[in-house]
Amino acid sequence: MKKIWLDSYPQGVPSEIDARAYSSLNQLLERSCVRFRDRTAISNMGAPITYGELDGLSRDFAAYLQKALGLQQRDRVAIMLPNLLQYPVALFGALRAGMTVVNVNPLYTASELEYQLADSGVVAIIVLENFARTLEQALAKTRVRHVVTTQVGDLFPPVRRALVNFAVKHVKRLVPAWRIPGATDFREALALGARQVLGGASVGSGDIAFLQYTGGTTGRAKGAILTHGNMVANVEQVAAWAGGTLEEGAETVITALPLYHVFALTANLLVFVKLGGHNALITNPRDITGFVAELRKTRFTAITGVNTLFNALLNAAGFEEVAASSRGTLKLAVAGGMAVQRAVAERWQKATGVPLVEGYGLTEASPNVCANRFDLGKFTGKLGLPLPSTEVAILDEDGREVALGEIGEIAVRGPQVMRGYWNAPEETANAFTADGWLKTGDLGRMDERGYVEFSERKKDVIVVSGFKAYPAEIEDVVMLHPGVKDAGAVGVSDERSGEAVALFVVRKDPALTAEAVLEHCAKHLTGYKLPRRIEFREQLPKSAIGKILRRQLREEAARPHG
Amino acid sequence: MAEYPAHLVREHQLFDGRTVTLRPIRLEDAALVREFLNELSGESKYMRFQKWVHAPSDKLIHFLTDIDYDRHMALVCTARHGDREEIVGEARYVANPDGRTCELGIVIADAWHKSGIAGLLMEALIRAARERGVQSIEGLVLAHNTEMLRFVRALGFDTQPVTDDRTTMRIVRKF
Repeated sequence: MKKIWLDSYPQGVPSEIDARAYSSLNQLLERSCVRFRDRTAISNMGAPITYGELDGLSRDFAAYLQKALGLQQRDRVAIMLPNLLQYPVALFGALRAGMTVVNVNPLYTASELEYQLADSGVVAIIVLENFARTLEQALAKTRVRHVVTTQVGDLFPPVRRALVNFAVKHVKRLVPAWRIPGATDFREALALGARQVLGGASVGSGDIAFLQYTGGTTGRAKGAILTHGNMVANVEQVAAWAGGTLEEGAETVITALPLYHVFALTANLLVFVKLGGHNALITNPRDITGFVAELRKTRFTAITGVNTLFNALLNAAGFEEVAASSRGTLKLAVAGGMAVQRAVAERWQKATGVPLVEGYGLTEASPNVCANRFDLGKFTGKLGLPLPSTEVAILDEDGREVALGEIGEIAVRGPQVMRGYWNAPEETANAFTADGWLKTGDLGRMDERGYVEFSERKKDVIVVSGFKAYPAEIEDVVMLHPGVKDAGAVGVSDERSGEAVALFVVRKDPALTAEAVLEHCAKHLTGYKLPRRIEFREQLPKSAIGKILRRQLREEAARPHG
Repeated sequence: MAEYPAHLVREHQLFDGRTVTLRPIRLEDAALVREFLNELSGESKYMRFQKWVHAPSDKLIHFLTDIDYDRHMALVCTARHGDREEIVGEARYVANPDGRTCELGIVIADAWHKSGIAGLLMEALIRAARERGVQSIEGLVLAHNTEMLRFVRALGFDTQPVTDDRTTMRIVRKF
């Protein structure tokens, strides 16, 4: 195939990257810790840690896992944290100890959590105390042997730490009572690790860095196997793309998307650690007033987000002022995860003077596949050009390339593409073509300049603010309710989140209410998967042979209420 | 009560040496069908019903087993383990109201994929459909079910996009 997109590359961006620039993410971190030792690496609520401190703290946590707990290389360690200073410490600690990280959405319900911990075979987990009760309910059926708990302020300076931890627990009452026998406090774990010598873990590019969970069409989440090599390659690809825009040791990026999601993990944390940049972590971007206040205090040069987040900022009181004062400083605003609305992109550029640059990727590709040019100065409405060392093809049903400009399935090859799904050979086989192309499940086309354009989804998936919700999982949960005979979930467009879940239910119990269905769902499904709309039907539309007719459901869901 | 079309019962030897029986489904197969569906992976069940199916309901089992062998025909492929019979695949059609076209469905036990039984079931089903004067056989296949799409194309089906629904493909074979 001819890589026609290369002719559209900005000057200075290489067509290929060195996927072996670092032998592992550990080497990437260690080099930055040496080169940028005294620079701020991470900050949260105004409290910074330097690269030197990140080095020491992550070393201590690594030694704790390795020596105090006696975990083995390749054991799975879960991180169940929002964006806090503890996140990068735990992440790099686990990786430096030679372990595989399993990122867990802290807002998961006990049943979602139990499934993910059991499927990945996690043996140790670090959890924010606020979510420890959920963990407590999920532990029994897993192989988790060690639990480390942390409080929001644990890495803040002493006085601040005491104040914040007290406020979270006793004033805001954000910590439901929990009891996990044998759980170790995070600060205690660091102290234990500090007394141990960290053994050299020989971690190479083929070792598994992450089992990164993503939804599956059949209802169960699957763990994408991302190696150190995959992740290093993707960091290099993004860094090469950003070469003309971002400078080493000079950038501050606003990290408001959760780091447990692969987009912020790679695009923010790992890329900016490579560059010796500063990640300013926003713990709760939904608190939009607090978010804007943080932005006002931070001199930032880059920001990433999803359409929903940029839109919320633009509508927030006080953001106009922040945007005006960031003119001249802000260099880059990147949006991924979901389609960007042109109106939002235009408002953003007007407010900040910087365009929203859209990127495209998926968990299975670590995740970045395409990006728009950072130097173009305007929003394109396209997914962008394939990144260096990335091949994108548009395939027909038989896996053959379609003619240029025609619609087909977007497929990817490159060093960032996962090895497969954890313990799921059949799903893995289905994810790739015979020639090794990763099938994205998205339909689109490529234009004559090599820009990839999204058309629609081939898989039945509902994308809510960049998070993927699969109808099968929602239906599975709903049908566990004894009052439900049948259920069908479909996506409807939603102004705030792009898409939202609409649910159709056939009652078994005639007295069943929408509130009861929603309450039941909330017990098993995290927020973004919850139906925004519930309607009852006598039956679901089905074909003669009993296949659900989702198109008809979608049409019904698209009709206005009443 | 419709007469059991016993002439459709056939034994086949697979290329790996195993022997299977193809036969029209019977009302008494309810327990075997339930077992068969329960054993299917989530993926296989989703491909067949295109939605999440927990334990199959009594109503579904009844629909699948109580058929008239005319407007609704179903063939099962069974294997023997000693004196125990196990369903390892099934294919069926249900006639559309026009009586000339019908909708097709097929599902194979996960462990029996690529064993050749899908081809045997489809050939037998198509034969039965033609015998009854059906003029075309159609079906809905999830667009990402590439294995199935490739399989039916090899059997002479056309695969067509469904208007306004990229997640599904219509498959059609006219006689």
